[in-house]
Amino acid sequence: MSGTAGQLAAEQVTAGYGRQIVLDRVDLRIGRGETVGLRAASGGGKSTLVRVLALLHRPDRGRVTIDGAPVTGTRYSVPVAVRTRIAVLFQSPRAAADPRLSLADLIAEPLRATRRPDDEIRRRVADLADLVGLTADLLGRRPHAVSDGQLQRACLARALTHRPDYLLCDEATAMLDASTQAHVAAVITDYQRTHRAGVLLVTHDPALMNRWADRVVDLPPSGVVPGRP
Amino acid sequence: MADLTRTRTVAFRRPRLRLRPGQTGAAVAGAVLLVAVAACLLAPLLWPLDQSAVALDRIRLAPSWAHPAGTDELGRDVAHRALYGLRVSLLVGAVAALVATVIGGIVGGIAGAVGGWVDRILMRIVDTVAALPHLLLGIFIVGMLRPSLGAVIASIGLTHWLSTARIVRSELLSLRNRPFVDAAITGGASRRRVLTRHLLPHVLPRLALAITLMIPHAVWHETALSFLGLGLPPHLASLGNMINDGQGSLLAGAWWASLAPGAVIVVVTLAIAVLAAHWRDRLDPRVRAELQL
Amino acid sequence: MKTDQSVTAERPAGIASLVDPQRPGGPGPVLDVQGLGVRFRLRDATVHAVTDLTLGVHPGELLAVVGESGCGKSVLAHALLGLLPRNATVTGQARLHQLDDGPVDLVTCGERVLAGRVRGRLAGLVPQSPATALNPVRTGRRLIEETLRAHRHTRAEAVGAAERVAAEVGLDVADLDRYPHELSGGMAQRLVTALALAPDPVLLIADEPTSGLDRPLVDHTLDLLRRRCDGGKSVVLITHDLAAAERVADTVAVMYASRVVEHRPARRFFTAPAHPYGAALLDALPDRAFRPVPGHPPMLTALPPGCAFGTRCPYATDVCERQPRLAAYDAGAVACHHPIGAGVVS
Repeated sequence: MSGTAGQLAAEQVTAGYGRQIVLDRVDLRIGRGETVGLRAASGGGKSTLVRVLALLHRPDRGRVTIDGAPVTGTRYSVPVAVRTRIAVLFQSPRAAADPRLSLADLIAEPLRATRRPDDEIRRRVADLADLVGLTADLLGRRPHAVSDGQLQRACLARALTHRPDYLLCDEATAMLDASTQAHVAAVITDYQRTHRAGVLLVTHDPALMNRWADRVVDLPPSGVVPGRP
Repeated sequence: MADLTRTRTVAFRRPRLRLRPGQTGAAVAGAVLLVAVAACLLAPLLWPLDQSAVALDRIRLAPSWAHPAGTDELGRDVAHRALYGLRVSLLVGAVAALVATVIGGIVGGIAGAVGGWVDRILMRIVDTVAALPHLLLGIFIVGMLRPSLGAVIASIGLTHWLSTARIVRSELLSLRNRPFVDAAITGGASRRRVLTRHLLPHVLPRLALAITLMIPHAVWHETALSFLGLGLPPHLASLGNMINDGQGSLLAGAWWASLAPGAVIVVVTLAIAVLAAHWRDRLDPRVRAELQL
Repeated sequence: MKTDQSVTAERPAGIASLVDPQRPGGPGPVLDVQGLGVRFRLRDATVHAVTDLTLGVHPGELLAVVGESGCGKSVLAHALLGLLPRNATVTGQARLHQLDDGPVDLVTCGERVLAGRVRGRLAGLVPQSPATALNPVRTGRRLIEETLRAHRHTRAEAVGAAERVAAEVGLDVADLDRYPHELSGGMAQRLVTALALAPDPVLLIADEPTSGLDRPLVDHTLDLLRRRCDGGKSVVLITHDLAAAERVADTVAVMYASRVVEHRPARRFFTAPAHPYGAALLDALPDRAFRPVPGHPPMLTALPPGCAFGTRCPYATDVCERQPRLAAYDAGAVACHHPIGAGVVS
């Protein structure tokens, strides 16, 4: 069907850990420019689905497609061109940040990993810090010396370094206070507008879902799932 | 709480007494070790020893002011020789501990980083080797090679790598599944970069600690081998050799010949062990607090 | 027609008036905190985590302490439970009443008093990582029984209580016989809650008890706390989740930069917040304006002499360079020179 351009999709994905299946023939489509909300009970496989879409977990069956083309490889074997188009924001900023790196190094890491020149890295880090509202004195600190909200903002900056087309947020604001949550949402929504990015929003908060998501997908507790876009 | 303070949270309810012995123990151990290492380093300058000198007119003298630990069966001052024996034992112990840790680090590193069936095979090998009594295995190894410095180091290295392998492997396995590794991968990092930039820096402090903890074990293993006559050649007088040589004096009633080297081993290895344990306790909660999972 | 609000300069004598008159209150507070201050000595700075904190908690009251992360509310919980690190200095008083023989000042009483008289009456729920809080070589059942035995219950009482409290938190009886590593994150959280509730404490201090849980479990835990208060016990709920506070709290205390800036009955706060920060915080909720509070909170190592919210406040004037004190206002108290609604003619 036409209209496969500009979307990240999981097609008939079945995935689990060993013998335990948590996703059974699930279909999910995220179009560029839209915010898709994902709702599921705890243990219902939503984190697994996020990891499959982020190309971190190989599904037992089914595939992930980007702009209609199937993605080959998982984890390290994904081509860089595809990697940089998908970014993830995790629930716990403390777990998602290497405790030894300063916030500036944290944000710069994806650029260093893809061997960008130093001056470009410096500029990008400064721009991104500005975007998420991190002042210069915070950038030099390590995770243990900043609050959860500040750390999650740094993680958001890190996620946006490659200017991804798709941003997957796995309960990314669950641990944040209301003001920081609103701020993070505002930054992401702005970015979405300027880059026509697609966002997957996984959250338990019904108010947040109502306010932010364009449409909501329900993931039933891992059982037979009629494929739903 | 970790963002406000840098010290470990201590519940006031824990009886305060428990904190003090731990700290004085480490302080004493540190002092002892400092003295021992300084003595070892300065020995050739301050108290040079001629290994081949014998004084057959002073055989088996009891401890006195002139000879604080007496003399042995060849009239040599026991305390003086014990100091040099400590140099040898510590050096051999340190090198052997390093070899053991490197072997363990490599095996554990491969198992933890690669995972899957490689991990399973390597761990079965570890379990198999661990099932053998390590001193017997060490004797076997020395028996296969000619007794020499190299054989002793090989013997220690090949029997003491197991715990390091397990530590490194478990550390890597637990780190691999943390979101910050996933974040690095989605950021575009290659496998090599994740390993060197994100995983190894967490493992290396533990490795340094592992080496330190291993030194007392290595020293004891060498001492045991030497005591059995299977260790270092006699011209490399380690403390173990001295204890072995002292057996003859013991039977002749001169109990001091083995006492000094024995006491030195016990005190020095105990000091190292106490310090390393103290270091390990300080390392762990901070690491856990910083990772906060 | 002028409303009956008035901002007076004296400190409110007691907060008894804040408790909803429909809930039966006791003759006096369970917890009476006066001028509590907590400072941390760092190498190159001093962190003022809690400054001049005064509030009371009555029997049957569920007090929610809310604020941004890093405002000091978690430190408050740790201070009341005696869990502060060595470099902390605590001033002021925190009296725990309803004990067998007289009140105890949590700040100054020693270890022995805490262990002998307070433990069991005062419980803390600080589930930062339940996995490390649970003894890995004990099953859930044994942990609960041991806790009760330590609080001077008999063996017979302890055995039945484990199943009772497990049912209360929603833990399957079968799960009681599992070891902590066999429990999922949610189950471990429930077990930690059960351990805190087992000795039936008069006052429970819960620090972010629902962080990281999914919605049904959050609601379940909150309702559990609510039921305790309906039964006459008291709870201090420390949380950044305003929706949770709105669901179950009787009273709300808003903390900002180490101070309580607003302390009012919950219904009043959620419909008509008095402090500009409280109002801005509510505006950030997704079912309201979803608008973040502009600016950044000050570092706790560099608090300004005047109102700490001044630089971010749309109503700030020169007088705000003087530190506002907590003063009686509309069924509660607020620390502001320009509380919302003051002087409004309606």
